[in-house]
Amino acid sequence: MDALIPFTTSGSLVDLVDKKVMVILRDGRKLLGVFRSYDQFANFLLESCVERLHYKLEYADTDLGVLLIRGENVVALGEIDLIAEDRVPLIPRPLDEIRTKINEENRRKERDHLIKSKVLETVGFVSDGREGDAY
Amino acid sequence: MLPLSLLNAAQGKPMLVELKNGVTFNGHLVDCDQFMNVTLREVYQTSADGERFWKMPEMFIKGNIIKYFRIADSILDQAMAEQEKQRAAGRQRGGGRGGGRGGARGGGEGGRGGGRGGPPGRGGPPMRGAANGRGGGPGRGGPPGGGGGRGGRGAPRQ
Amino acid sequence: MLIFSFFKTLTDQVITVELKNDLSITGTLKSVDQFLNIRLDGISVEDPERHPHMMAVRNCFIRGSVVRYVRMAAKNVDTTLLEDATRREIKDAKK
Repeated sequence: MDALIPFTTSGSLVDLVDKKVMVILRDGRKLLGVFRSYDQFANFLLESCVERLHYKLEYADTDLGVLLIRGENVVALGEIDLIAEDRVPLIPRPLDEIRTKINEENRRKERDHLIKSKVLETVGFVSDGREGDAY
Repeated sequence: MLPLSLLNAAQGKPMLVELKNGVTFNGHLVDCDQFMNVTLREVYQTSADGERFWKMPEMFIKGNIIKYFRIADSILDQAMAEQEKQRAAGRQRGGGRGGGRGGARGGGEGGRGGGRGGPPGRGGPPMRGAANGRGGGPGRGGPPGGGGGRGGRGAPRQ
Repeated sequence: MLIFSFFKTLTDQVITVELKNDLSITGTLKSVDQFLNIRLDGISVEDPERHPHMMAVRNCFIRGSVVRYVRMAAKNVDTTLLEDATRREIKDAKK
């Protein structure tokens, strides 16, 4: 019976409960929190959750509190290695600063994407979707 | 405690629901079901860009369109305390039944209902028999499998 | 069930999982379930600067529904065994 433990969703997630984790959502969001619970659909319950916005090596956090995430929106869940976390060269910045930088970057990407799509269309390629559409 | 159990325990409480398309709803949870369908009352809807707002006395949201729920910390704490109380009461009553739904009824083919074993760790469903669910082991205390499609998701109301 | 069984034979091997969001994660397969959700240990990401959020993550759970490809060393795969198993599955399904 014990040999079956690794091969169920419960078997593979039970050792992550109460640990600090990062969840990546399909819309590209990265959420950090304490992993409290899950079920067979990979619905997750996170406590003390923050959304972390990254811009290159800088980041900013927004508090979200308790989050119940519907499983189908989850891409992955990673255990944060608390020792590695201290060594990582990420620099915290104020939220509005990061938001501005990200908005600028997105506007640049949008513009580049439009130009690229036009060129590819002339050669016969159809533009693919954006983040969140690939599923 | 299972995610859907928390949702059930949060009936009557305020929460925020975000949909896959980014629209958010703030309201009090009236009811929810195993498919995560919910009804809310006194709802404030905000568009995805945060620019437009609506108010509605009541609304039904289909579960499959939901991205996540934001719930106050106090609600989680309250729900866990409730669950702990009930478990303690159950143990006192002889620990025999414990309300466990377990048994290896999982392994249904196809459909998502086939999952075996819910999270047996902290706050997991109470184990049958001996006190102190230590968890581990497949198929104990998990929601029943089979029933194809979306069936068998029901987390029990504690 | 066939691919699930196949993945079970791959546990403790190094694999690379390419996700639908174009992120590629390499790691040791620790566990798989019937939905082909994957647990990887000792992970590394293919382009770490583009994904700074993964820097402090050593092991992860990947939902099966978001996987595009799983890449593995050819020597870990017994194609003859797989072919036989596939033929058996088809035969059983036809019955």
